[in-house]
Amino acid sequence: MIFGIKEKSIILTNFDVLFAIATNIHVRLKTGFVLQVAVQGTVSLQCSNVRRGFHRAALLRLASDSKSDTSVPPPSYHEVHTAGESSSSSAQGESSEDAQPNTSFQDQSGEHGEDYETEEQLQARILTAALEFVPQHGWTVEAIAAAAETLGLSSASTGMFNNGAGDLVLHFVAQCNAQLAETLAEQNNQVQLGQAEAKKTAEFLKDAVETRLRMLIPYIDTWPQAMSILLLPHNIPDSLKHLSTMVDDIWYYAGDRSTDVNWYTRRAALTGIYNTTELVMVQDSSPDFEETWAFLDNRIKDVVNMANTAKQVQATGEAVVQGLMGAAITVTTQKMIQFPERNILSTKRLLGLLF
Amino acid sequence: MHRFVRPQLMLRDSKQPLLPRAGHLCTNHKSVVSSVRGYVVLPPTSDEEEKAMLHRMMRVDHAGEYGANRIYAGQMAVLGRTQISPLIQEMWDQEKQHLRKFNEILAENRVRPTLLLPLWNIAGFALGAGSALLGKEGAMACTVAVEESISEHYNSQIRTLMEKDPEKYTELLQLIKEFRDDEMEHHDTGLEHDAESVPGYQLMKAIIQVGCKAAIYISERL
Repeated sequence: MIFGIKEKSIILTNFDVLFAIATNIHVRLKTGFVLQVAVQGTVSLQCSNVRRGFHRAALLRLASDSKSDTSVPPPSYHEVHTAGESSSSSAQGESSEDAQPNTSFQDQSGEHGEDYETEEQLQARILTAALEFVPQHGWTVEAIAAAAETLGLSSASTGMFNNGAGDLVLHFVAQCNAQLAETLAEQNNQVQLGQAEAKKTAEFLKDAVETRLRMLIPYIDTWPQAMSILLLPHNIPDSLKHLSTMVDDIWYYAGDRSTDVNWYTRRAALTGIYNTTELVMVQDSSPDFEETWAFLDNRIKDVVNMANTAKQVQATGEAVVQGLMGAAITVTTQKMIQFPERNILSTKRLLGLLF
Repeated sequence: MHRFVRPQLMLRDSKQPLLPRAGHLCTNHKSVVSSVRGYVVLPPTSDEEEKAMLHRMMRVDHAGEYGANRIYAGQMAVLGRTQISPLIQEMWDQEKQHLRKFNEILAENRVRPTLLLPLWNIAGFALGAGSALLGKEGAMACTVAVEESISEHYNSQIRTLMEKDPEKYTELLQLIKEFRDDEMEHHDTGLEHDAESVPGYQLMKAIIQVGCKAAIYISERL
């Protein structure tokens, strides 16, 4: 069935006609799910939703016909749930998603979708829900299965996750890092707007690491298991990527704009601080993890001290070298005056190079 | 009689009209990070591959300017009290300006600098000082070789960007063309000042250019 662009001429008042048409529309989506429109009720809002849907179907038809790879999104159909119950079409509906029409998102082309959820979003939803079951089941596939069931899906949905528990842990880490980046950006905004004082570097780093580590507190009992999952060989690239992005974010908002080897030394130092503090935290039993924050404070002080010491050593070294050069020049000049027959001009020229 | 052999290059004077410097923002991108001057050099992009490519280009360009900076520093260290020193100083100042610009771009766009910067620090200084010990002609020969390599490299970058999307990369292309023109100027200056009269000129030039190519290759990846 092919629609022309003149869909405006379609009179969408007869819902029975609509229904018949709708059931004939099968659209293969990128995820391979076959969804159908469920039309029900007489709410005109739904009518306009469906109308938009048909517009998109028509455009998709044309787009696929002309094999253009432009920004036409796949039509988004799903079971439209209203306050009422679903109609008889649910018998035909093979919808695999229990989507609610409140997921406002932007699909890959950037256009506002019709409450259509991609597989990545579904996975994200399941994993986020699975975090609630982690204290009970640990960082395992059971937690994901339990979450899938609460969302109304079968526990076999865990088959979607090739990496199992690794997916769950990595999702959590990514979520925490995103939250941290948001917080830091917000703080940065405040400082830019003059509403807050800029913190000193040491304090900023301490607060950032503390904020990030506090996100682990609800899961601290099972966190060693998560850490060991992150250390599995097939998870190491991803976990390192997350770690390095997080450290880069923290230093960026701390004001680091270095473009030399300091870029690397600073990030390496902060990675070391973060990892060791994390390890201290998992075996810390003090109230509100006071010992952890004290440890963090000391480590940051150490790094700052080392940086200052390095600067001092460099300055002293330069001064010493200058002094030695001056002494050497003086000595050679004296020798030249005393022993004019000796040719020490070449030595002087060589020393002169280093001025 | 010296034979001037210039490598095949694109037009020195680009026929592209200069864009107004202030207030020109890409309108087809979502968010814009602008420098103090109000225009962006790297177009903001959400495509990971494109971002990686742009970052790699900026990384290697930054490493190149850093190395060139150190080469001139080495040359000045040896020849700093001779007649050629004002000329070398002038070329060095231009390289410093280039380096400053790339530092800005790297900082703004959160591009990682190459890990081998300390190596280029030492190698560049050693090359500059070593070539200058052969005298003023040696220094000029080194300049010619290095600037030729850098110009070729900038030209290939310009070609890549033009092939992809000249419209999108207008500011970046303008910047690279400007720097490429400066480097060509240095190259010509070197030739004018008796670069070719150093003994072993061809051999020296070949060795230096191989070294530059290797440096560019490694810096792109590391």
